[in-house]
Amino acid sequence: MNKKEKFQRLLSENEFVFLDGAMGTMLQAKGLETGGVPELLNLEKPEWLTEIHGAYAGAGAQIVYANTFGANRYKLEETGKTVSEIIPAAIKNARSACVESTLVALDIGPIGQLLEPTGSLTFEEAYDIFKEQVIAGADADLVVFETMTDLYELKAAVLAAKENSDLPIICTMTFEQNMRTFTGCSVSAMALTLEGLGVEAIGVNCSLGPRELEPVIAELSRWTTLPIAVKPNAGLPDPVTNKYDVTPEEFAESAAGLVKYGVKLAGGCCGTTPDFIRAVVKRLSGMKYTGQDAKIGAAVCTPAKTVEINQPRIIGERINPTGKKLFKEALKKGDIDYILGQAIEQINAGADILDVNVGLPDIDEKEMMVRVVKALQGVTDLPLQLDSTRPDVLEAALRVYNGKPIVNSVNGESGSLEAILPLVKKYGAAVVGLTLDEGGIPKEADGRFAIAERILARAQELGIPKRDVFIDCLTLTASAEQAGAMETLKAVHRVKNELGLKTVLGVSNISFGLPSRELVNCNFLQMALTNGLDLPIINPNAALMTGAVRAYKLLANIDENASEFIAAYANNAVTASVSAPAAASPSASKGGAMDLPSAIANGLKSEGAKITAELLKTHDTMDIVDNMLIPALDKAGADFETGRIFLPQLITAAGVAQAAFEVIKEHMLKTNGETVSKGKVVLATVKGDIHDIGKNIVKVLLENYGFEVIDLGKDVPPESVLEAAVKHEVKLVGLSALMTTTLGAMADTVELLHQNNVPCKIVVGGAVLTPEYAEKIGADFYAKDAKETVDIAKRVYSEE
Amino acid sequence: MGAVRLDRINRDEAFRYMGIRGTADEVTAALAEECEGRLLGEITPKYCWVTAEIADISESEVTLSGYKLSLRGRDIAAHLSGCHAAVLLCATLGNGADRLIRLLQAEDMAKALIADSLASAAVEQVCDIAEEEIRSRHQGLFTTWRFSPGYGDFPLDTQRDFLAAANASRAAGICLSASGMLTPTKSVTAVIGISRNPIERKRQSCEACNLRGKCAYRKTGGHCGE
Repeated sequence: MNKKEKFQRLLSENEFVFLDGAMGTMLQAKGLETGGVPELLNLEKPEWLTEIHGAYAGAGAQIVYANTFGANRYKLEETGKTVSEIIPAAIKNARSACVESTLVALDIGPIGQLLEPTGSLTFEEAYDIFKEQVIAGADADLVVFETMTDLYELKAAVLAAKENSDLPIICTMTFEQNMRTFTGCSVSAMALTLEGLGVEAIGVNCSLGPRELEPVIAELSRWTTLPIAVKPNAGLPDPVTNKYDVTPEEFAESAAGLVKYGVKLAGGCCGTTPDFIRAVVKRLSGMKYTGQDAKIGAAVCTPAKTVEINQPRIIGERINPTGKKLFKEALKKGDIDYILGQAIEQINAGADILDVNVGLPDIDEKEMMVRVVKALQGVTDLPLQLDSTRPDVLEAALRVYNGKPIVNSVNGESGSLEAILPLVKKYGAAVVGLTLDEGGIPKEADGRFAIAERILARAQELGIPKRDVFIDCLTLTASAEQAGAMETLKAVHRVKNELGLKTVLGVSNISFGLPSRELVNCNFLQMALTNGLDLPIINPNAALMTGAVRAYKLLANIDENASEFIAAYANNAVTASVSAPAAASPSASKGGAMDLPSAIANGLKSEGAKITAELLKTHDTMDIVDNMLIPALDKAGADFETGRIFLPQLITAAGVAQAAFEVIKEHMLKTNGETVSKGKVVLATVKGDIHDIGKNIVKVLLENYGFEVIDLGKDVPPESVLEAAVKHEVKLVGLSALMTTTLGAMADTVELLHQNNVPCKIVVGGAVLTPEYAEKIGADFYAKDAKETVDIAKRVYSEE
Repeated sequence: MGAVRLDRINRDEAFRYMGIRGTADEVTAALAEECEGRLLGEITPKYCWVTAEIADISESEVTLSGYKLSLRGRDIAAHLSGCHAAVLLCATLGNGADRLIRLLQAEDMAKALIADSLASAAVEQVCDIAEEEIRSRHQGLFTTWRFSPGYGDFPLDTQRDFLAAANASRAAGICLSASGMLTPTKSVTAVIGISRNPIERKRQSCEACNLRGKCAYRKTGGHCGE
């Protein structure tokens, strides 16, 4: 019998399975200092551990957690002990205190550092840390990940466990009274993601007492079919006395109240003792396990946002280079900010999900996909649809995605089914199935329906739930195949009603080659929605398209009281065909003729862009840059230096110039395929430093002056700076550091550039930096602010 | 202890952090209004604290009974002189603030700058709320002002043991990055001394401020203690 079977048998042979109680509380009672490393006691005081484990087993615990909660590389770093010394000893201590039938869990808590994007620990590093623990704990009967607050960290942990052991997995996360974890993860997102990844049980531990946890458990029971585990605290600790406020009997009573939500495994967390476990065992004896009545529909999620596909949801199609020069240019340059801009525009326009496609022949699509997915989930809560023709790109994206995504796509070809569906299953995603196969796209609806059936059957064979298969019946161009439109709609109708699957459709193709495309698109969209389309893939910035979806929801009585519709249009009637990309600026309504310098001086972004577009009809691009943009910026800079305006105004002015520059860049790419460049500058926030707002302000100003910025981001190792400086043959490298603790990394970076005789100047800046320190570490320039960095860049590049 | 709600953020304080002297211009004020609203919708302010008995105060170190934490440096020792206990306070806005500031950097740098300063002001407000609770739980006693690792010669590398002693990761979700930065970034740790006798309140100086070295207001010659 393998360990998974042994665990399942424990569950099936017992009405409830009892877990142990607190470890830290017990160790502190024996004399562990607060803030000390409890895992060292596995080696120093093994008798304490056998006593504690024995007491819990004696109280009725059928699974005891070894004292390994913080036994990871990072937390042990200053103890002189290794993971492979501590974990086996801890498991041995637990095992020796219990009877044969008691299961010993490898207990793994959070690493103790926040993951990217808020922290600097990468997903891949987190995976390695957990992997080391899992391997060291191979002798355990199961692995428990508990007290988790970051779904991303937990995903790394689960993958590490599944890929490096065959242990059954229990995951419990810690929720606050607002039904969220500290990092904002919701109960539904936890359940959707972890059940997708294929763990054995999920639940909740720590933070609150059993009574306060009731709403969390109630919500969880709606979202999972897995056995539910709970380990509440003994109430809340008093900060002055450090005592908890719930008695064992009260605790057991509240725990009994959770049984109706389908709780299967019960124990205690901080503040609980063997008395609490004994009380729970006693109180639950004679009660029946009820299971739960989960009603899970089609849904995708990020930690903070679950999108249920229970009504039409808009998938934004704009993150895709096809037919877009600026987007292709951004991909080639690795300009992630441009792609984030595309995302933000679609979010503000009403997208529910974003499709992400970064396929371009000249770039490393896999690396770019991972970068873009990570960057997007750093700024938006919208779920993503991962879009690539390459399985390796999809797998890389699925790994680093935080939540439950959609994979776009699989089709009816056997090669595609075999390559894509196992990935969908492993990572617990939803998938778009295209109704085409080796024979191409069937002309008639029946043929497409048959392929949809085949895709569904194969998915279900692999254990992918039916609700996670979405079918795309494929839109053909009406100007080429006029009869095709109705066939597509027929297929949508049948797939929706006969197979009971959600449907997805790219809409805009329908009008290719026709005049008044939007008119055709809008009508086709309405017809598709009426035939059962759930997930239109459209350009949400096209106000009429987004409006058509909202109007459909109103008329189909989905948008209750028309509240969504009214919120969107009460003060904003749909008129323009495409909504203006630039956000409205304050005082934008001021009348009167406006020129570019005054738009810049007054912080009027959309006006700045409009005026620039007009100017391009009559002026040369460099004329606009050199004689209008730059003098206006110089004036703002001079006003800033003399204290007439302050930093926010300077940056606002720069924002207007940036909007004007975007227009110029687009124009130049269209007319001669070139962009403005007064020289390249590499910018980086140094290794260890994750606060990069200062560097980004410098970037905006430099770009305003026509410099091409190669932005390496934050937490950048010295080697990456060296590599970029050499590769792009730059004359200037700018380094920023915010903390005294990271100044050393700045010195290392400067030294590495010098050692390699890179023929560039180095400018440094940042809050804690001084001119003296800059000189000491061998930097060529110290810049006190962004304005001064621009002056230095101008000087360096005029010395040619 | 636990979660708190802010209804407003001290905009004047944030303007000072941005280096604005006098009143903010119309454009900045409008952006600040927008950013304040968005920030209040994204943050999840929290704090946690514990009271630890002081075992011993030497000239340059304070040790606490039952805690694996020593507070090193002449400045913290002077700060706690005459105190019998120390409160270890941790406060944070949660990672929603970081997330919004990241988003705004892609949307509009001016807004990002303003939101960043507003967030710095907000986390101080959370500390103020925590401090009120701490005072009310130490009735009849006297408290010092907040003194944070990094002030004077109180070393920043105290943070790791400090967070562990205050159980900050479990109680408020605050961690340390590998390079010693608090994460979420809008977080504060501070020591408050508890004394049975009145404490001579020294004026809080720039040397003992979370914005030490980064304060744009100070760089332009301003001083908020006046």
